[in-house]
Amino acid sequence: MTGKIALNLSFDRGTLLLRGLSRQQVAKRFGEALWQWDGRIAAWRTYALHYAAVRDALLGADEFVDDVPPPARVAFPEACLPVLRDQQQQAVDAWKQSGGRGMIVMPTGTGKTEVALAAMADARIATLIVAPVRDLMYQWHTRILKRLGYNAGILGDSQRFIQPVTVTTYDSAYLHMAELGDRFGLVIFDEAHHLPGGTYREAAMFCAAPLRLGLSATPHRSDGREVDLPWLVGPTVCEQFIKHAKGDTLADYNVVRIPVKLRDEEQKKYETAGVQIRDVLVEKRKDNPTYAWENVCAEASKDPAARRAMQAFFLRKSIEDRAEEKLRVLEDVFRLHVGERVIVFAGSNAMARDVSRRFLVPTLLAHSRKNERRIVLDGFAAGRFPVLVANRVLDEGVDVPAAKVAVVIGGQSSARQAKQRLGRILRRSGNAVATLYEVVVQDTNDVERSRSRRRSDAYGSAKRWRGNAQ
Amino acid sequence: MLSSEQSIVEYADGQAFPDRLTQKRHAHYLDYATRMLRVYEHGIGRTRRDLHRAIEAIFTDELDCPTQRVAAFCKMLDDVGQYDEDARGQAADLRLRVFEFAAKYHPLVSCAEGIFEHTEAEIKSRVAQEVGMEWGQIDRALYADIIEFQTLKSFAGYPSAQAMLSAYNVAQIQACLYRATRMTLYLTGDFKRIIRRIRLLRLLHEIHRVDFVRTGRTGGAAEYRIDLSGPASLLHETRRYGVDMAKLVPVLLACEGWRLQATTLTPWKRPVFLKLSHEDGLSSHLPPSEPFDSGVEEAFAKKWGDEPREGWRLFREDVILHEGQSVFFPDFVFRREDGLEAYLEVVGFWTPEYLAKKRETIAKFRGHRILLAVAEACVRQGAAIPGSVITYKTVIKLDAVLDQLRLRAGD
Repeated sequence: MTGKIALNLSFDRGTLLLRGLSRQQVAKRFGEALWQWDGRIAAWRTYALHYAAVRDALLGADEFVDDVPPPARVAFPEACLPVLRDQQQQAVDAWKQSGGRGMIVMPTGTGKTEVALAAMADARIATLIVAPVRDLMYQWHTRILKRLGYNAGILGDSQRFIQPVTVTTYDSAYLHMAELGDRFGLVIFDEAHHLPGGTYREAAMFCAAPLRLGLSATPHRSDGREVDLPWLVGPTVCEQFIKHAKGDTLADYNVVRIPVKLRDEEQKKYETAGVQIRDVLVEKRKDNPTYAWENVCAEASKDPAARRAMQAFFLRKSIEDRAEEKLRVLEDVFRLHVGERVIVFAGSNAMARDVSRRFLVPTLLAHSRKNERRIVLDGFAAGRFPVLVANRVLDEGVDVPAAKVAVVIGGQSSARQAKQRLGRILRRSGNAVATLYEVVVQDTNDVERSRSRRRSDAYGSAKRWRGNAQ
Repeated sequence: MLSSEQSIVEYADGQAFPDRLTQKRHAHYLDYATRMLRVYEHGIGRTRRDLHRAIEAIFTDELDCPTQRVAAFCKMLDDVGQYDEDARGQAADLRLRVFEFAAKYHPLVSCAEGIFEHTEAEIKSRVAQEVGMEWGQIDRALYADIIEFQTLKSFAGYPSAQAMLSAYNVAQIQACLYRATRMTLYLTGDFKRIIRRIRLLRLLHEIHRVDFVRTGRTGGAAEYRIDLSGPASLLHETRRYGVDMAKLVPVLLACEGWRLQATTLTPWKRPVFLKLSHEDGLSSHLPPSEPFDSGVEEAFAKKWGDEPREGWRLFREDVILHEGQSVFFPDFVFRREDGLEAYLEVVGFWTPEYLAKKRETIAKFRGHRILLAVAEACVRQGAAIPGSVITYKTVIKLDAVLDQLRLRAGD
């Protein structure tokens, strides 16, 4: 055999390679499970995630060469961070005490971003911030510029501008972490409950950053995979709940539910579509008594009848979503709140555009470019635009400047969405009481979704606090 | 390339069968393809949504047409067309202008109560005046930058309806491979072209020589098994490298003598095989492989002939020498009845980088019998040439090669 191979650690597309240790030596130093022998390249391999632990275990070993590049140091000479509130300071301290690896759970609107910025200012090291959607990515960019005086790089939304401090989305992080995972000393996962799902987790596994911070208001996932957060990010080091925050940072709010009816022609179309679906089911059940909606979905591509039923189903959903009466109710709400900022949550891009074209008010949709996004948000904050229409893009964490009135005219029913949406209008501003209107089409599935929304924790609290929700 | 949502795969007996249009069952699709191409050819100026609806309409009465197939056709047509994407942001500018103007009159009511309210109709006509366009025009332009409202600018199309349908079949195979976790290739030729592509895609390969197959008069051909994966495949099952594996397909289809078996995942995360070979009748948009890199090689092969000389039979690019992730494909293989092999590499280029790289590769494989034929033009004046190197002016002399073979077979 050749001579002794030098003890060497390197980064290879999201993984670590270790050369120069025998099987016995690896087992002795790291235990059996951490490394896998890779015969393809004759080296030991494991996830970049383990970099900090591996490096620490090898420091002091004879002639150990660490080829993983040290992350750049970053200075924030123009940092102007606000004084943190006690709760925020506690969160930062708890994270630092846990060695800079951990999850901070705080309700929406209590300043998670400030906490993260404080952690960045403290770490002063190359940092990657991963956010769920483009809006949030841009929002981080703006906050970092404002608070830390740093023009961060952007990776995502067809842009690739990598800087020591860079903001990105989960999608882009999944795609590019293999190439970028060795550049950062700190990685921040915003709305970290997204991380354990499907493939996104690879973004954490392929990243060598020793310091990790996860932020979330609602780490709970319906698939229970939040149990992976401790090893992907770190243990929960700080947990604060929405109820503790009440009265301290969040405003009280009313929930007003407004039922609307479909117009005659809509109702007719809606019923016709319903009959079409029923007819298909009845016809099919003659051959197969257990034929159900699942069968329609499965057969829609092969069977014109099932396809018709499917189309009828989507037509019904679209009629509910875009019911004309919703626009009339909006008119009333706008009238009632003249002079106040109103944010409207639509159930679809199409409905958001309907509202925009009817009232000539700006939308914030997935396709909006960075510049327009900024003008619209700033304009809304400054009162130049009285209304902002959004689809689910705004569901999570996107800052909307202190709107006091929100109108939900459609959307999904998951508990997290309801909570996050409420977070939008709960920002404290003076003594004004926020109002959430929920416009629901009567006698349709819209009602069912609304019930499910109200079962969630946040709506429940709303009732208890104010006692005047319907 | 299609997106995963347009992928159609059937699963049976542990195998994946990507959607495939066949002449037998889908002869009538040629007519559909012609009509689809016509829609786009005459569709300059129409919105994407309009075009997609027109394509959907073609298939309304077709019993055998999953919605994903129609979506895939739309994607394939969009991919060879160009849309006006409003790069200068005119729609966004118009929006801001209109919304800022209208903000002063918010809310636009349907029926004014009192003198402080403004109706929708009134303000919209004032906006139209302000902007200098009809309201209908403004309404259409307001969100013209949204993907489905973008208009078709140009359309390159496909060479024929047939070509579009073959491209569809290939695209469905690729889309199925997006979910691939591993791929194994069995190759009997075109090694260089295929492995170059593999390396360009940065896939890791494990090469095994599996068989020595006798095929016809020209003698044997080695078969190689190449296992493809990515760095993290060792640690967990991942689809991360599936897209790269899919990108290999067009090159494979342009080559001969290969088959592949990929492991992909069903939507229920069950592993299944996708099998494919050069005999499946699929065509590539890439040209077939050139038989020879240069005239020098072609002339040498012709001169040597099919019959053995001094027991050595000649084969073209017939072996892969490999060491971990390094590979070397000698231009020629000399093989004796007893299985002994020697290789000939012809060096005709003369950029210094090329020569340096060649030298490095050959040094790595010095354990093998590699003969070098170097063009005199690329030997530096006065450079010492080792006796083992054959130099040539325009043709490689058989005697010089046979001398070397005798010498090297003796070691």
